[in-house]
Amino acid sequence: MTTLSESSLALDVIDATVPLVPGHATRLLRQQRDKVVAATQGSYDAMFSSSVEGLSVAERLLVALHACSVSKAATLAAHYRERLLAEGVDRELIAAVGSGAPVADARLRTVLAFTASLIERPIEGDRAAVQSLADAGLSTPAIVALGQLIAFLSYQVRLVAGLQALAAVEVAA
Amino acid sequence: MSSTNAPIRIKGFTNEVLSWKPWLDPVDVASATPAQLAALDEMSPQARSSPYFLVLAHQPEMLLQRSIAFNAIMFAPGGMPRAERELGATVESRVNGCVYCASVHAQRFEQLAKRSDVISQVFEEPASAGTTAREKAIVEFSIRLGAEPGKVSADDVRTLKEVGLSELEILDLIHSVALFAWANRLMLNLGEPVFPGAAASS
Repeated sequence: MTTLSESSLALDVIDATVPLVPGHATRLLRQQRDKVVAATQGSYDAMFSSSVEGLSVAERLLVALHACSVSKAATLAAHYRERLLAEGVDRELIAAVGSGAPVADARLRTVLAFTASLIERPIEGDRAAVQSLADAGLSTPAIVALGQLIAFLSYQVRLVAGLQALAAVEVAA
Repeated sequence: MSSTNAPIRIKGFTNEVLSWKPWLDPVDVASATPAQLAALDEMSPQARSSPYFLVLAHQPEMLLQRSIAFNAIMFAPGGMPRAERELGATVESRVNGCVYCASVHAQRFEQLAKRSDVISQVFEEPASAGTTAREKAIVEFSIRLGAEPGKVSADDVRTLKEVGLSELEILDLIHSVALFAWANRLMLNLGEPVFPGAAASS
């Protein structure tokens, strides 16, 4: 276990994807909300934890890549692409999911369709969409995990975009 | 704390107290694990009796971290006044069409600000809502970050600075809007709002 001060000083996923280097004014600003910094990284760790059952880490990383590609969040998409490669996921599958091309696996197709819909048109969420996930074999905890993951990615995309805008002002100043 | 005025009902949105009905089976508190109970208690003293949080308790570590983030973003001292964080949350919920979230955070705005004029405006037409230049800028930024995060730029940050927001206030607003991009998607996709008097249907 790291101490709070060490973990708050380490570069986290948000710092790496904005990107913010140590000493950057926007990073120091972020550190003023250290509980948010820690819980954002803690949420990321929970979303991709190997202890979550019902949805593999590779499936969750594919969801993340698809969500960030749909959101046109380039640096976050690159982060998830790197993690997928490190997991040893097939390069053609990664390319297909990143570009929105169809995938062969029916379960993954259902999960990715739910992902794009929830990212882009959350108001269209309905009971039938949740049922489609259950019909594809997802347990209730797996559906909750998928919903939390996609919702977290919506947060992460906006946090990175907002911090990039703040950092751009610093550069111009 | 509740308003004595008639409830606001505009374009399907309201500041009335609504219920929420899950589409998935909630965790049973009586058989919940210690990790599930800890995550619920981290959120709020009422979470053990909330269908929404009991559904999210199926993934306790995710709920725990989200609860810490939620409370830190909405309640931390200093920075942006809490009423304005609630306004950002309400705007994001209005733009995403989350009737339940919009009702909860409209109520919290009113409790903190002691007025509801801007809430009626947000429900009617978010793009032109705001009773002051500062409020209009906060609403416009919230819409933009919520709907088109890829288009948020340094100019949007400068606009907020010109109406007097500090950098910490801007960060607090970014956190609040981003948090409700998260919350809205859970509320909209794992269940549905129930209006007063409609609880017995279906």
